[in-house]
Amino acid sequence: MSAGGRTRLPVLLAIWAALLAAPFWLPLIGGYTALGTRVLVLGLAAMSLNFLLGFTGVLSFGHAAWFGLGAYGAGLSLKFLAASTPLALLFGTLLGGVLGAALGALIVHRRGIYFAMVTIAFGQVFYYIAYRWNSLTGGDDGLRGFARQPIALGPWHIDILNSGLAFYYFVLFCFALAVGAMALLLRSPFGGTLLAIRENERRARFLGIPVELHVWIAFALSCLFISFAGGLYALLNNFADPNNLHYSLSGDLVIMAVMGGMRNFWGPLLGAAVFVVLQDYVSSLTTNWMSFIGLLFVLVVLFFPRGLLGVARGKSAA
Amino acid sequence: MTELLLFNVTNGLIIGAFYVLMALGLSLILNLSGVINFAHGGFLALGGYLAYTLTPHVGFWGALLLSPLLTAALGLVLERLLIRRLYGRDPLYSLLLTFGLAFIFEDGTRFVWGAQGLPVSVPAFLNQPVSNELFFITYYRLFMVAVVAVAVAALFLFLRYSRVGIRIRAGTLDLETVSTLGVNVGRLRAINFGAGIFLAGLSGVLAGGQLGLDPTMGSGLLMPSFIAIIVGGVGSLPGTLVGGLLIGVAAGVTAVFVPSASDAVMYVLMAVVLLARPRGLMGEEGLMT
Amino acid sequence: MSLLEVRGLAKSFGSLAAVRGVSLAVAAGELRAVIGPNGAGKTTFFNLISGAIRPSSGSVHFDGADITALLAWRRAARGMARTFQVTEIFPELTVAENLRIAVEVAAGLRLRPWLGRAGASRIAAGVEEILELADLAGKAGRLAGELAHGDQRATEIAMALALRPRLLLLDEPTAGMGEQETFAVTQLIRRLHRERALTIVLIEHDMRVVFHLADRIAVLDQGALIADGTPAEIAANPAVQAAYLGQPAEAGAA
Repeated sequence: MSAGGRTRLPVLLAIWAALLAAPFWLPLIGGYTALGTRVLVLGLAAMSLNFLLGFTGVLSFGHAAWFGLGAYGAGLSLKFLAASTPLALLFGTLLGGVLGAALGALIVHRRGIYFAMVTIAFGQVFYYIAYRWNSLTGGDDGLRGFARQPIALGPWHIDILNSGLAFYYFVLFCFALAVGAMALLLRSPFGGTLLAIRENERRARFLGIPVELHVWIAFALSCLFISFAGGLYALLNNFADPNNLHYSLSGDLVIMAVMGGMRNFWGPLLGAAVFVVLQDYVSSLTTNWMSFIGLLFVLVVLFFPRGLLGVARGKSAA
Repeated sequence: MTELLLFNVTNGLIIGAFYVLMALGLSLILNLSGVINFAHGGFLALGGYLAYTLTPHVGFWGALLLSPLLTAALGLVLERLLIRRLYGRDPLYSLLLTFGLAFIFEDGTRFVWGAQGLPVSVPAFLNQPVSNELFFITYYRLFMVAVVAVAVAALFLFLRYSRVGIRIRAGTLDLETVSTLGVNVGRLRAINFGAGIFLAGLSGVLAGGQLGLDPTMGSGLLMPSFIAIIVGGVGSLPGTLVGGLLIGVAAGVTAVFVPSASDAVMYVLMAVVLLARPRGLMGEEGLMT
Repeated sequence: MSLLEVRGLAKSFGSLAAVRGVSLAVAAGELRAVIGPNGAGKTTFFNLISGAIRPSSGSVHFDGADITALLAWRRAARGMARTFQVTEIFPELTVAENLRIAVEVAAGLRLRPWLGRAGASRIAAGVEEILELADLAGKAGRLAGELAHGDQRATEIAMALALRPRLLLLDEPTAGMGEQETFAVTQLIRRLHRERALTIVLIEHDMRVVFHLADRIAVLDQGALIADGTPAEIAANPAVQAAYLGQPAEAGAA
């Protein structure tokens, strides 16, 4: 695993084999297919955020906004535009991506903690809109009355609506597309400039990289990817609600990335898996699951600041 | 109409005063230590709940003083045990840590005091309206504004004239130089953190007397406080003061004309300020870029 | 024809005048040293040339064009590369990755979202060449942040070279180095100058290095240019001696 995001081939094969076979091995360890789909979607969201956080070094703490816009975009498209799953995903992705790019242009000169604050605060704007605009978004109750539609692919008709298994593989296909695109970008010369900015902004600037422009593009791309994940999330639940946009989800996504390992391309997926499974499990045990999640945040920060994969890497390097 | 406007402006000022108290505490910690304290709302709620528990024993006035002190004491303990470890590291980690603490606080208050809202009883005379014409202004409201004004004035005097305060201000500008001058930066940060948390606890007690208590009361005030800081300009305490009052009054005035937009107006205000003056109204060159 | 020319360059921070009306021309192919006591404004002068800060007055001309208003990254893109007093590299990337990024940016590929096989091998060849040149080939796979101080300095210079600059600005390249490392860096700079005819401006405290390398020496004191000439002229200049007499530790620091 190099810092540039390259994973060794055997590891890569193992990851994809595990993902492809997940619906078959998940029940053996007490899981279920929909849980796997949830991990994929939130994993993609965390990886999209990490494109910015771990590979550009820009601290966005309001990424749930773009995720939620993707979800609402997909839901609204299915409800009001056309009964088409691909169109819903496209609409959701563009809604979050375009608005994210617009905000990004405003704040791209800021860094660090100021950037974090502004992204949180602006993210909440969309939360309030979703919360308040009852007639369009369903307000506090969330957006209902839409369902993902079967996919027609030439002669085939894939029923992702009624078959949880088919939907899992549909999501996995989308996941593969997005993750593949991110991996290619990170390996490209453009991706190199992002690593440069993460590592040393001053050096990057004096190499001839217009840092603000590149950060802005990275921000917009990250928003695009995470809105895509948000669209998938709406399809998964056939529902979107304001919590999809709330900053506490942003915090969850950041902790997924950090817990798995920000410097590792696949880290956020692992973090999402651990987080989703833990949340599923703890909330079935106790009503005080919030404290447990809070404790998880504290423990990760104190004991695993480099994440699970960061620790593994540190040990193997030693 | 005038009366409605007056009512809402007064309301806005009072709400703005809460924002100010909360945002000043956040701002203090942010400026000196570079930590966005997500748990600030949790401390605020704790201050309110402690007052609820203490009032039967020490009375409202005792609780008004004691509860913020206890909250600040807990803040100092957490600063010592947890937050201190994160100074100088990537701000990401302090964000996540205080984020987690906020969860624990909210859940903890719910666990101890229950999810239902609770009232804080204030002395009966404070609940009287000021006059028949100004029936909507109780003495409690005036009292709140007065307490906030005193607290803010005390804070600014402390920062301007006391030795520790001067060092805190200097540290905000250039911590490295301050530490090379032999100032104990760790203690400075602890005092500063404690002061910020004291303000949170104080606003919790005041808010409890007006609006009642509820485990999420603090997190609800968090976002307006952020916006107050951004609008005023990160790094500037007077800016935070102005920002808090401004968004409070703006929300109040908007409530008269477009009631449904009264939350939204602070976001609009933030967007306008950020477009017109990226550093905020009183933000300084070079800080927090 | 001078490659770099500054005219009446001045910079004040509040009431402190860090650089006062410096005018200077550096010819193409020249190796110019800038010396002066601590606090003479040397690094501020560099920051003005490279675009890290804006001058209060005066202008900077590079290859005949007025670049006073250009941002730092545009100056770099025009062929002005610099190093810093405190090494600025990409610590969590390998030496080869550090250089790869520089080579790709220099090749105008910074916005490319992918690179074909031919492009990639051209970049790899460019990286290889710079690794050889800076004597870092054996350390290509190491994380830059884990290298010894001298190798980190060498990596930074190598990154600057990877830009194929027309002007190289070196801010105290031997700072904090031991005898052996200082020698190696001096050799590298000399090679770049002699064999590649690179125009170099360097700030340096080590007088042996300065007098060994420089074609001409400019002396700053309290922000003003007090002398500019060949090493022999500078050595004999009474104003320079006076400036340094106040700080005898400077000249013998290394």
